[in-house]
This record gives sequence, structure tokens and C-alpha cells, in this order.
Amino acid sequence: MKKTGKILLIAIIATLTLIGVTNNVHAATKPNYIITTDATYPPFDFQDKNNQYTGIDQEILKTIAKRQNFTYTLKPMSFNAATQSVSSGQADGVIAGMSITDERKAVFDFGTPYYRSGIGWAVKKDSNIKSLKDLKGKTVALKTGTSGVDYALSIQKKYGFKVTYFNDSDTLYNDVINDNAQATFGDLPVIQYAVKNGTQLKVMNPKSPIQAGWYGFGVQKGKNAKLLADFNKGFASIKEDGTYDKIVAKYLGASAATFTGNKKDNNSVVGILKANNGAFLNGLWQTIILTVSAIVLASIWGILLGIMGVSQNAGIRGLSTTIIYTFRGLPLMVLAFFIYIGLPGVIGMKIPAFTAGLITLVLNEGAYTGAFVRGGFDAVDRGQMEAARSLGLTYGKSMRKVIVPQGLKIMVPSFINQFIITLKDTSILSAIGILELTQTGSLIVSRNSQGFRVWAIVAVIYLIVITLLTWLSNWVEKRTRA
Amino acid sequence: MSEAQTKSKIHVDKVNKSYGENHVLRDISLDINQNEVVVMIGPSGSGKSTFLRMLNQLEKPDNGTIIVDGFDISEKATDINKVRENIGMVFQNFNLFNNYTVLENIMLAPVELGKMDKAAAEKKARELLDTVGLVDKADVSVNSLSGGQKQRVAIARALAMEPDVMLFDEPTSALDPEMVGDVLEVMKNLADSGMTMIIVTHEMGFAKQVADRVVFFESGKIQESGSPEQVFNQPKNERLQEFLSKVMHA
Repeated sequence: MKKTGKILLIAIIATLTLIGVTNNVHAATKPNYIITTDATYPPFDFQDKNNQYTGIDQEILKTIAKRQNFTYTLKPMSFNAATQSVSSGQADGVIAGMSITDERKAVFDFGTPYYRSGIGWAVKKDSNIKSLKDLKGKTVALKTGTSGVDYALSIQKKYGFKVTYFNDSDTLYNDVINDNAQATFGDLPVIQYAVKNGTQLKVMNPKSPIQAGWYGFGVQKGKNAKLLADFNKGFASIKEDGTYDKIVAKYLGASAATFTGNKKDNNSVVGILKANNGAFLNGLWQTIILTVSAIVLASIWGILLGIMGVSQNAGIRGLSTTIIYTFRGLPLMVLAFFIYIGLPGVIGMKIPAFTAGLITLVLNEGAYTGAFVRGGFDAVDRGQMEAARSLGLTYGKSMRKVIVPQGLKIMVPSFINQFIITLKDTSILSAIGILELTQTGSLIVSRNSQGFRVWAIVAVIYLIVITLLTWLSNWVEKRTRA
Repeated sequence: MSEAQTKSKIHVDKVNKSYGENHVLRDISLDINQNEVVVMIGPSGSGKSTFLRMLNQLEKPDNGTIIVDGFDISEKATDINKVRENIGMVFQNFNLFNNYTVLENIMLAPVELGKMDKAAAEKKARELLDTVGLVDKADVSVNSLSGGQKQRVAIARALAMEPDVMLFDEPTSALDPEMVGDVLEVMKNLADSGMTMIIVTHEMGFAKQVADRVVFFESGKIQESGSPEQVFNQPKNERLQEFLSKVMHA
């Protein structure tokens, strides 16, 4: 048991060190900030054909950072997660086409308003909806956490429509185009840009934004005053010398293909693979690292929970049961949000997304593992323990020499099953912005709108990895049987 | 500890045990001497197996005193593992370790408990396999053995710790009839060699043959005890008479 403890400790330290090291790479003399953004919000925030983040927001930020001499690490995620990361102190600032509202002012300090916007609403291109009155009984698709939501909810009663929520714009537009929802409310320039680039929607109020307002760069209220001051100073300078106007004109004037690659690349699986092979490989690598670390740590933690679960001490058994019950009961995504967005505010410490994701997986998969490990030990005939004890062996020695080896053999198929589930569960962590395979797929689709081809590619990659994992597991199983 | 208590190998005084409402042992007192072979008989559920399992603390008494080899095992401070090293036990269902070979089963405890080094333990194990007639089975998996062979290996495993008391909990009850003889023979040889043995069994013929004393359990009490001659041929207790009439005519 000492050995297991040591391995566990080493694994944890190694993981934390690794994460610590990668985080400190940027630590130079210049201040480095963590800035979150919306992963899919063209023309303000989106990936170009080289998988670099670009758009009006991004170019403003980049230019200001250069002039004001600071650096930053960009964390693209859903708009909702992007704002919450800043309000919980996980990140320093957010630039994501965020409207300045009174409600948000309570939580954020905003820099100089940088873009005039307002709310627009759109329907499917050939829809016969003419006015808000026609929305009665219909469904309206909204992007979680946006000012479009606030507006839609404020008029929902009056017009009698239902609402449905999405985390990324592309899926949302497709929902309207596929007639699952019949309309959407969102930021006018964003919808207009999408329509201009071929999204089959019709904007209903192109000339008259509702609740016209401004976008602002936000930091957590009362924090990061220096970053905010730098942003404002830099913004004043790009406004003055005309850089700002050039940036806006560059994105609004050009079609999306200028930034996101030509049609030919996007119309075949081979083309998509060629254009994005770096992104797919990175995503796959993140998925594999996350899976392997989670499998190793969750197995160790689960075996520990299982051993505790068959302990002679009722208190330890109860503790194991409680831990398993809690973490098996929590949906993976809730746990991920709780650790990534909930905890940092309370413990006053940033938790990097990868670490938060890994902890989430270890707690969740570890609980499942703990349950079947305990079951496996229970399945070993009671007489085995009695015989070992009757010879004078201690409880610990009896466990180690007799019960554990037999129990583990019973558990091998359950372990293999759990490994495969772990691999698939990593996809859920795209919600906290980990750029693994699924998130990579979302980003590519948001750029090229080739949902079918991209998701087919992602699915095939998962199947290949799962097949390899299954082969490896079967090989191990055969060896343990022999 | 008084002189009177240390004289007998095992001293049991006023032991009680209940499982919820079920009072399985009531005020049991019994002394067993060095080299004595005691056979415990009685109907199922009479408490004889529970009593046997208390002698090495696989079951804990609710109250009363149990002294084995001078160690009060009902006392919390006693290191029960040390006491168990000197008490071998053989189970109805053999309980051989499924993850080891025959030889490894026998060697495990002496090696793990530092009683012998590996070489000595292996030598001892092979000798024991020889005495139980299974020397050719040393390296096979225990799952390939017949019931009778398993039980003989189990006896060898218990003997590897060189105990001075052996407990047998219905050692032949799970065996096919043709296997019983081999196991009983090994036990008889062991008795002849002077081992202190406490045996729970339904084999009345064997009891008659090897027991120094027969103890009759019924309803959690020792109803009668004495030499095989007394117990089988002149039973006084009414319940014993009834029990014998059933098992002898069965």
C-alpha cells in the first residue's frame, strides 16, 4: 500500500509541476495577462485559415498590447464561460463583443467603449414571419449570456414565444435554418456579418438596432486597473491615428473567405484535413494527454476509494461511499464548471483549464472506478480473507497478497470500459475552453460551416483512437488472464 | 494470569454470542488440554462452528474469556495475528488462494510472516505435500484439483506454520463421498502424531475412532461431553439421544 501511495504522490506532483511549468513559460519582465474571448463571434472573434484568432476585437487587442508593451495569453471559449472566467478571477480581461449594460457594470469595469452595436433579429431567409407579432408560439434561438437573451426575455411575455439556448453562434444559426427555431436575437453587426457571408438568414431590422449600445473591454470589478488604463491609452492612440478605422473596414469590407480560406479547401474532406491538419493534431494531442493522465490518476484514486470501501473501519467505508455517491451523482459538466468557474473565487487561486478539466475527470471517473473496484473486492469469496487471516497474516497483507490480485482480475473488463468512457468524456471539457478534439471541431465548423464533413472527421478520429485503446486493453487483459 | 488458566491449552470461560435476537452461544465454558483431540457434534445451527471460529477470533464473543496458549484473545491488547500463527484452521470450503499454485499457497504465510526464508519454506512445503500424498501437484493451479485434493492442500497450508493447535470446521462436508476417506486419513495421522485438534464434523465413525473427547452442542449450549464410549454408547442427555438416533439411522 505504501508503494501505491508513493506512485500517487509522484503522479500528482509531476502533473502539477508540468502544468506549472507550461504556465510560467510566458513569465517574462512584461506583464502577461490572461484574456478570454468568444470562440466563434465573427467578425469580432474567430479563427483564420491558419487557426489563429483574428477579427475586430483581436486586432484591436493585439495592436494595443504591442503599443502599451504588455503580453497576453488568449483563451477562446463560449461567451458565457469567457465572461464568467473574468468575473470569477480565473482570467484578467475579456474582449468578446460584449455590450456594456448596467447589469454587467455591477460585475465588470469597462474600458472605453470601442464599437457601437445594438440588437438585431433574424429569421430564416424564406420565412413568412413579418413582425414580432408573428413569433407567437414559435421558438427563438439565443446565445447564452448575451444581451440578446436579456432583450428577448423582456419581450417574451408580450409576444408569446418559446426560447432555446446555444453556446456557439454557428450551431444557433443552423438551428434557425433547419427550422427547429424560427428566429434569433443577437448583436446586429454579428448577424449581418454572418448573412453577408452566406448564412441563410434574413435580418429584420438592418437599419435600426434595438437598444443601441456599445461594446466594451471588461475586467473584474475593482481589479486589473493597470490593464484597463493601458487598454484605454492604447485605444485612444489607435483611434487617433486611424488604425481603428482601418481595422473595422478590413473586416466589415471583406468577405469572410479572405480570412477563413477558399471554398475549394472547405468542400472536400481531404481539403479540410489539409487546411486544418495542425489544428486536428493539436486537438487530438490534447485529448490524448487528457485521457491518459485521467486514466492513470482516476485508476489510482478509484482503487484507493475501492480499498477504503471494503475497509474494516465503518468511518472509512462511509467516507468512500460518500465520495463515490457525490462525484458519481454530479454531471461531469457541472463539476467542470464548479471547479473551473466556481472554486477560484472562493479559494482565491487561478485553476488553469487543463488542470480543472483533469481534476474533474479524475473525480468523476475515479468515483465510477471506485464503485466497481469495491464491487470487485466484494466479489472475492469471503473465505479467502478468512483463510489468510487464520494463518496470521494482517488485514493489509491479506488484502495485498490475496484479495487485491484476485479482485483486480475480476475488474479488468470494467477498467477497459471505464478507459473508453474517459476518452469520450474528455469531449465534455470543451465547455470550459480546453482546446481538445471536440472544441477543435467546433472552431473549424464555425469558420467553414462544413458541419457534416468536419464532424465526420472528428468522429472517425475518435473511433480510431478508441479502437487503438480497445486493442491495447484487450492485449493487457489477455496477459493478465494467462 | 492464574496457574489454573495456564494449565490447559485452551481455556474458555462463560462465552456468549448473539446475532441480533439469535442467541447462538450461551455461557459456554470448556478446557482443552495439550495433545487432546476434541470432536464437536450437534445439529446444524447448534453453535459448534461459531464456537470453533471464536478460538482464533474469526468471530468475536460478546463477553466471556478465551485463553489460548496463555494469551487472552478476548483482550483487545493481544496481538491476534501472533496467536493465529500457532493455530491452524481448515475450512469446509477449503479456501485455497485462487491466485497461487499449490506450492505457493503453502509457502505464502511462512515467507510473508518471516518464519522461514523461501528455500526453507519450499522444502517444508514439499515435505508436507508428501505427507498428504500430493507431491506431484506442487506446481499446478489450485483450481485444477478435486475437492479431496484441495482439502489435503489446505491442511498442508495450515501445517506449514507449524501450529500447535489445529481447528477443523466440517472438513469433509463439501466433499464427494469417495474423497472423504483420504482427508480423514490425513487427519487421523495428524492426531496420532500428537497434534491438539478441535474438529467440528458429522462423521460419527471418525469421531468414535480418533476423539479423546466428544462434545455435544445443541441450542448454543454444551449439553453433554465425555469419551466417545460414553457419548455414543451411553448418552444421558435426551437431546443427544434424539440426535444420535437420527444420525445413526440416516
